[in-house]
Amino acid sequence: MGASDLARLQFAATTGIHWLFVILTLGLVPLVALLHTRAALTRDPARRAVLERTTRFWGQLYLINYAVGIATGLVMEFQFGLNWSGLSKFAGNVFGAPLALETLIAFFAESTFLGMWIFGWGRLRKGIHVTLIWLVALTAYASAYWILVANGFLQHPVGYELRDGTAYLTDFGALLTNPSALLALAHITLAALTTGGVFVAGISAFHFARGTEETDLFRGSLRLGVWVSMLASFFVIIVGDLQFPLLERTQPAKLAALDSSDAPWHVWLRISMDAMTIIGNTVSTITLIAVVLLWKDWLVRRRPLAYLMTAVIPFPFIASVGGWVFREVGRQPWLVYGELKVEDAVSHVSVTTLAVSCTGFVALFVALAVTNWALIIRFARRGPQGVQLGAAPEDRQGDKQPVPAF
Amino acid sequence: MDLQTAWLALLGLLLGGYFVLGGYDLGVQMLLPAMGHDDTARGPALSAMGPFFLGNEVWLVAFTGVLFGAFPHLEGSLLSGLYPLIVAILVGLVTGNAAVQLRGRARTAAGRRRWDALVVLGGALPALCWGLIVGLLLRGLPRRPDGSFHVGTGDVLHPFVLSCGVAMALLLAAHGAAFLALRSAAPEAAARAAHTGRTLLRATAAIAVLPLLLTLFGAGAAPHNPVSAAVLTAVPAAALAAAWRSLSRGRTGAAFTATCCAALTPVPLLGFAHYPYVLASRSGAGLTVGQAAADDATLTVLSAFGVLVIPAILAYQAWSWWVFRGRTGQRHPTYF
Ligand code: HDD
Ligand code: HEM
Ligand code: HEM
Repeated sequence: MGASDLARLQFAATTGIHWLFVILTLGLVPLVALLHTRAALTRDPARRAVLERTTRFWGQLYLINYAVGIATGLVMEFQFGLNWSGLSKFAGNVFGAPLALETLIAFFAESTFLGMWIFGWGRLRKGIHVTLIWLVALTAYASAYWILVANGFLQHPVGYELRDGTAYLTDFGALLTNPSALLALAHITLAALTTGGVFVAGISAFHFARGTEETDLFRGSLRLGVWVSMLASFFVIIVGDLQFPLLERTQPAKLAALDSSDAPWHVWLRISMDAMTIIGNTVSTITLIAVVLLWKDWLVRRRPLAYLMTAVIPFPFIASVGGWVFREVGRQPWLVYGELKVEDAVSHVSVTTLAVSCTGFVALFVALAVTNWALIIRFARRGPQGVQLGAAPEDRQGDKQPVPAF
Repeated sequence: MDLQTAWLALLGLLLGGYFVLGGYDLGVQMLLPAMGHDDTARGPALSAMGPFFLGNEVWLVAFTGVLFGAFPHLEGSLLSGLYPLIVAILVGLVTGNAAVQLRGRARTAAGRRRWDALVVLGGALPALCWGLIVGLLLRGLPRRPDGSFHVGTGDVLHPFVLSCGVAMALLLAAHGAAFLALRSAAPEAAARAAHTGRTLLRATAAIAVLPLLLTLFGAGAAPHNPVSAAVLTAVPAAALAAAWRSLSRGRTGAAFTATCCAALTPVPLLGFAHYPYVLASRSGAGLTVGQAAADDATLTVLSAFGVLVIPAILAYQAWSWWVFRGRTGQRHPTYF
């Protein structure tokens, strides 16, 4: 493999893993914020206690997931300079600005407020505490917007002019309203909500199948998850179809490669597009039926049906990785569509250095991802009893298990 | 002040903020074994930095974002030139960041100790490498005619660079100790942190003499502006002494202020020692601010946002420090 293949592999693998965590973050945080708001607004103490435990349970899973999202994001931020210094030379004047604004506008606020939300249980006034999680949700989507403005420029460069082989920013407004970024944001938002909704519904159904005592908590969650994923998965298909006319205008070669079996990346494009359409239609159908079966808990009275809901959880993740493979592989060989080729953008770094760092990062990320999913599964199965987020210090001691002697 | 200088100042502010705030996190992570063997001692130490941990690290993320947005030509050559060190820092930060957030989720004490080993590694490795980078940049880089450079093992193993690395690691550990001495509610924990901090401050001072001597004898840094460099070297020296005295007298607030000051000074030192070069070659010339910066049209757009966003950032970060200003105690939920 040459330097440019290694750099691509490293970028694709690390971004792909980052994305698997980010999509759940984006999907869960609005639901957690919604639950927290309802808990804060409820007067009836028993009902409020249930809603608060619900918030903390899903909040706990959200935070475990977030730990890897943020750790991998750190590496993403550095990769442009590490591996793609040709990109900063050519398009630094245009492409860098949205990334800089993302960190200043979105990440700064998201991290600060999330820290306050985690440690604010029992310490902050309710109104402030709930506002914090809404700010976290808002800034998470703001960061998605800015990163898509940057990515949209790679897909469909706008708002710049070329002077001496370098891109200069001429129209920032055009960059911000790039249809390639806005349509992607809509599709991603819906994909994330589908993922989050299916996740919440699937875990709730699992607890019903296991005969949980927390029926109030999981009934509310099941309803929320099923409704959100039903609506989001319906619209994710519609917005997905809306992208084709845009692609016809901006990247005709991508669509041509999808249909021509001779094109170099044809198989990748075909598989990833099929993954999205098949999964999208299946999830949409299942959740539509599930909404009907919510009546009198029909959905979770029979175990196979409940476990089916749980089994759906991984599929939106697969579809959404497929979406990115389609979007990114389909623009080959261009890094900035029509302007800069991938092979011309790679840093002057030796193949050995790249091979070592690629192997290292991918191994580290895979290890983190697997560990993290194991933790998510463990905490999801344990249910609300195992929640540490916002638990009083005494409860926290209680979850410690005796140290084995050997 | 023109736009380029303003953005350079902001870049310095972000890196300085990271060294001060992210710096004490790295320090606390390194000190974890010194605070005690079980979770009754380690838990509170991590809770002390808990509410600020995510908000501290983001200064580095913002530094990188602004580096790319406002100084794209510096970003490309700096990061790819320092490749192995940047990768080491990232591996350390990713591991440490995840371990701090996930150690509390371990089921057994043994599992938690495994995470703790990663917490320590994730503190020490970046701290050391940041010091190495400061040393390399101060000493001057082996730049080629086309402006690119690659640091090799020989560059890193130079005594000046190595001693900068060790001094930085010790300094940040001392900084973390001062933070714990200030924030810990339990008197024994605070006393232990203060004691460790004093030892670390003496060690930092002892090691920091080395790069200074090397420079005086012509084998260390060759700053473009020797006078500013000399002044900016005197500041951390005084700060170390002040921190040591304050810790000895139990004035932890003053001690922490002094270590903050010491942790910050590498940034102005880097900025002023070689100004107007942001990347100095060993031969003298280098990449100037003007060559490194983005086009004025880009900087103007960034400034329009910056004027609104930067004060807001400072305000809500200050608010979060204020809200969690109390010492960490047993009464409140902990998480890490
Ligand atoms: C739950 C996840 C999910 C589901 C069910 C779907 N998608 Fe999707 N799709 C994504 C998740 C996603 C994504 C990860 O969010 C992408 C990657 C980049 C982007 O903008 O969104 C994406 C990209 C993407 C693109 C590429 C746009 C480009 O290259 O610029 C197209 C054409 C579609 N999708 C079309 C569809 C269609 C026709 C679907 C259903 C019938 C569909 N997607 C379901
Ligand atoms: C999180 C979602 C993303 C995923 C899963 C993803 C996936 C990929 C994949 C699979 C490739 C490799 C293409 C190939 O080798 O043929 C790639 C390349 C690349 N992507 Fe993305 N990408 C994502 C988001 C982004 C964003 C937001 C940006 C820019 C801001 C970006 C910039 C790049 C660059 C610079 C390359 C390298 C050049 C290339 O091979 O085309 N990506 N990405
Ligand atoms: C390839 C380009 C990408 C880069 C450089 C990047 C950078 C980062 C960084 C530095 C963080 C940590 C932020 C912090 O410290 O608070 C992060 C987290 C995050 N990123 Fe990315 N990212 C990329 C791709 C994406 C994409 C495609 C999306 C969404 C569409 C996204 C959305 C988020 C969100 C919502 C977070 C918050 C943490 C989390 O969700 O787990 N990122 N990213």
